[in-house]
Amino acid sequence: MTTLEETRRRPSQPQLDPRARDRMERAFRIPRARFVIGGVAAVAIFLWSANGAQFDFLKLGEGASNMGEFITRMFPPDFSKIGTILLLLLETLQMAIVGTVLGAVLSLVMAFGAASNIAPAWLYYICRWTMNIIRALPDLVIALMFVSAVGLGPFAGILAMTIGSIGSIGKIFAEAMEAVDRGPITAMQAVGASKRQIIQYAIVPQALPMLTSYTLLLFEGNVRGATILGLVGAGGIGLELTTAMNRYDYGHLFAMVICIIVLVTIIDQASAIIRKKIT
Amino acid sequence: MTTPTLTGPNQSVSRATDARVSVRDLRVRYSEAEPLVLDGVDLDLHAGETVALLGSSGSGKSTLMKALTGFAPITSGDVRVGDVDVARLRRGQLRDLRAGVGQVFQQFNLIGRLSVLTNVLTGSLHQAGPVNVFGTFRSADRRRALELLDRVGIAHKAEAEARSLSGGQQQRVAIARALMQNPRVILADEPVASLDPKMSRTVLELLQSIARDEGIPVLVSLHVLPLALAHSDRIVGLRHGEIVVSGRTADLDAEQLAPVYEIDEEAEED
Repeated sequence: MTTLEETRRRPSQPQLDPRARDRMERAFRIPRARFVIGGVAAVAIFLWSANGAQFDFLKLGEGASNMGEFITRMFPPDFSKIGTILLLLLETLQMAIVGTVLGAVLSLVMAFGAASNIAPAWLYYICRWTMNIIRALPDLVIALMFVSAVGLGPFAGILAMTIGSIGSIGKIFAEAMEAVDRGPITAMQAVGASKRQIIQYAIVPQALPMLTSYTLLLFEGNVRGATILGLVGAGGIGLELTTAMNRYDYGHLFAMVICIIVLVTIIDQASAIIRKKIT
Repeated sequence: MTTPTLTGPNQSVSRATDARVSVRDLRVRYSEAEPLVLDGVDLDLHAGETVALLGSSGSGKSTLMKALTGFAPITSGDVRVGDVDVARLRRGQLRDLRAGVGQVFQQFNLIGRLSVLTNVLTGSLHQAGPVNVFGTFRSADRRRALELLDRVGIAHKAEAEARSLSGGQQQRVAIARALMQNPRVILADEPVASLDPKMSRTVLELLQSIARDEGIPVLVSLHVLPLALAHSDRIVGLRHGEIVVSGRTADLDAEQLAPVYEIDEEAEED
């Protein structure tokens, strides 16, 4: 049997640099220069950012008592207006459902154009740039645009959510389609399938679990987002939250927060179960 | 029909008149900067025969198969599948050509989440036209797909997800998908490289019986010499893009096939 030494000495075989061999054999390696420089640079950027953003643990420690006082004021939660809370929460949920469905459909359409393995280059760049612009716009600004277009109410919120979804989820949809295994695509090309048939049979079925999973994630995000959109009059429970804060009605505020937590937790758990089933 | 004879790299190959696939003096180069991947290859495939294509990695086996379906550029030479001149085809016409060439891959290339039946049905996509937007296939196609699954012995798994099948079963589904195309020829690129020896024999026996029973030529690239000797009517050996051995399997032995796998010291040292 050939020994390791004999194998190493075999003339026709490419040899490993002895210094590289020694380095690889060491249990504890001296970090490479680029790793050290990269680490130092990362720490420096973090400290620079923390300083610029006035991040201060001491200040947090000093203010902790105020926070405690604020939380104390929220007790006990006031469920006397539970009917109103549930109705508004239902409206928020409905907004999120419609916004997610429309957002996911439009995101899917946009993603076909933004996936490099599907779209021609000119369409790819148009779709990617469109999504970048949408993503750069804050949700509240989009909501305000639609409030001024269609007036106060949940419809403006739904439109804001739908457009916002394209920016966030469209890119992820496109990347899910780009990441599919090439084998089935090759097979479909080999049977003479058209571009549409390749998308239909080789790309979408492979990307479907990811698309569904991200749509559920979008839905969870939209439920939380819908509570914020209400701040600018775009429907949902957000407006009631703002009103309660302005009136120092902390009991009512806390009751709403508890209801939102319950709703989000239920959705989160249901999503987890669905995700588990589809993957 | 021309009787293939044992030929060396410089010996001429007589032109067959009834070949389903005919390759003459084929040269393939992927880019100007790269060397020729195929250099003067001649090959005929006749109805009902199984031809084993032997050669080590990088010898040009896959490129030859790709050239037959327009997936590799034909630098010079003549490639005909039926009466179609592959080098002259435009993009849309290439789809028509591919629809008539069944291909079987090493990694099966099935759509794992779709059912076995749907995977077989995708073989008929070219005839389906634009009407099946919702993924529906005609009853006649479904009936034929089930018959083909019977043919490859896996009809009982028709409704199972393709990914739930073993490697050998998946390869049989892939063969049924190729048959669904009503192919003029079947090209199998290392179809048993991912399978165990027993399953390899089963799959190769299936391919050979299909060639015989359906009268379809099957070109199958292999790495394992005993498998090629046991499951082919003819063997073609490629080395560095050139045919170094070609002849009837019955006339060949391991010694005659040795040049195919001869160790190239210079290449090894590179």
